[in-house]
Amino acid sequence: MNPFARMVLLDIYDAWFGLIRRPLRSILSSLGIGIGVAALIAMLSISEGAKKNAIEKVNSLGTHTLRVETIVSGYQGGKSDVNLSQGLNVADGEQIAQWLGSRGQVGAYVRTDNTYIKSGVNTVPATVLGVNANWFSAEDLSISSGRKLQSEDIFLREKSCVLGASLAQDLQADLFDTVRMDNFPATVVGIAIPKGTLLTEGTGLSALDFDTTVILPITSMPFVRSSGGTILLDGLVISLARLGEEEILGIAEQVEQILLVNHRNIADFRIVIPIKLLQEVRERQKIFSLIMGTIAGLSLLVGGIGVMNVMLANIAEQTREIGLRMAVGASKFRIISLYLWNAVLLTLSGGLWGTIAGALLSLIIENYAGWEIVVSTLSVFLAPFSAVITGIVFGIHPAVRAASLDPALALRDA
Amino acid sequence: MLLIEAEQICRFFIAGKSSIPALSPISLKVYSGEFLVVTGPSGAGKSTLLNLLSCLDRPSSGEVRFQGQSFSNMTEQKIALLRNSSFGFIFQTPHLLMDKTVLENVALPFHYGLPVSRAVVQERCRVLLEYVGLAEMESRYPNTLSGGEMQRVVFARALCREPDVIFADEPTGSLDTENSRKILTLLKDQTTQARAVIMVTHDQEPVDFATRILQLDKITTDTSLV
Repeated sequence: MNPFARMVLLDIYDAWFGLIRRPLRSILSSLGIGIGVAALIAMLSISEGAKKNAIEKVNSLGTHTLRVETIVSGYQGGKSDVNLSQGLNVADGEQIAQWLGSRGQVGAYVRTDNTYIKSGVNTVPATVLGVNANWFSAEDLSISSGRKLQSEDIFLREKSCVLGASLAQDLQADLFDTVRMDNFPATVVGIAIPKGTLLTEGTGLSALDFDTTVILPITSMPFVRSSGGTILLDGLVISLARLGEEEILGIAEQVEQILLVNHRNIADFRIVIPIKLLQEVRERQKIFSLIMGTIAGLSLLVGGIGVMNVMLANIAEQTREIGLRMAVGASKFRIISLYLWNAVLLTLSGGLWGTIAGALLSLIIENYAGWEIVVSTLSVFLAPFSAVITGIVFGIHPAVRAASLDPALALRDA
Repeated sequence: MLLIEAEQICRFFIAGKSSIPALSPISLKVYSGEFLVVTGPSGAGKSTLLNLLSCLDRPSSGEVRFQGQSFSNMTEQKIALLRNSSFGFIFQTPHLLMDKTVLENVALPFHYGLPVSRAVVQERCRVLLEYVGLAEMESRYPNTLSGGEMQRVVFARALCREPDVIFADEPTGSLDTENSRKILTLLKDQTTQARAVIMVTHDQEPVDFATRILQLDKITTDTSLV
């Protein structure tokens, strides 16, 4: 065996026996580090979970998308300005699309919730969306069978529709079947692929489950509101080309300006910019990580001080043993190595069980608090590693102190 | 063969503004095959001399040489290696690691210094345990042994690296007459193998085994530094 590896193994062996000689003291000392590591793992898991949640939300809304929704107007306690404009309309969408040009496309929609859809003997409540031709690409909604709604459907006011994946299943409807919304019939020309729900929680946007939706041409939509010959919209989905974050934010500002001008400076709409949400999430994440890191760092610091204390106590008790080792040929380096391994084994064992405890703690938090938790591989490696670093940092002083003992005096220690 | 040569070595300790002498200047030479017994009253500096000759301590002035090489020119690493390979130690109270077996205690010097294969280590340790009459006790722990047996384990440990010099600091001090004689016989036996034994004692019995006796007188004066 390589002499260095042999030396390391012998020191690890001696250090381990030194620790198990005083099991209670060693366990208590490793407990301090373990708690620090468990806190670190749990905090990183919560932080990762929050990050994953936020990223999922932003991805669901579309990182290169702007979403604009009409704010439902009503009597505002004497302020009549809200009623001067009636929210978004088709002309707004067309103007924005024209201004954007090749930089993006604008999907416009109106929606009616909780409408009963009938197909044969099956009746299912669903959301009905009336959309323009660009809505499908703006929402990146693909079709599993049949086709999307096209410009002709919009222009010719065709009574055709696309069904969400699970709605089609619930209605047992197939292509070219007729479905009825109250008394309004429409022919199924396409069935969408499952896309799930738009994760709008906390954004102020209306929730939407694509899979339980009937999508009609906006021009065929029954009961739409209109004003001055143009259809009033519930929202716009603006899908942008692959642009940088700053460009997207610039466009969002411009869109807001266009809409404010169109609506006589009345903010009767809400713009949600997912990329901005992502930036906010990153910022929050940074602060969160800083706070969590500080708490976990302090825990490790306290644990490290505990380890140092135990090491100093061990060395005080083992003075004669140190003298003996020096007398039989241990160099200062070997004494340092022995006691550093002592500290590393203490903290490593604390780090390992702390990692397991941290993962379990994360699961408990997930179950009881309902927060999304992600125990990342990085944290599983980082936490024991930081424990070992703590061991080395706090073990160096006692180890050097042990190696600095005068062998003749150490041997005389009673 | 000249093994150790001390030239005008002395040792004093500083306490505040005072210097407390622990060993008056002394010169001596130790040859292989010698059984040197250092005697004298308590406080004469017997153990201090032993520590200086074995390089467990450094002299305040003067020089110690081993096989012509001065300790003062050696690095810490070199001194550690020297203690491991050329010196063996026996102390008044048997210093053993209580959580290790007799065999592991004897093998302790092999944790340091030049590597030797595990099989050779075990073989050598077993031979030595047999030599000191503890062959059956290799798996026992020190707290199950008598004082005499523990001292014999220490003796076996001191021999396992086949040292040139054995330093014994009152090795029979805590033993009864029978065990004391056993240890002295074993030590004397070493001198026939070209080893030197330097033993500190205030008993009369070891004197009978000595080839040379060094009598130290009590130091009484404290010297002011100022």
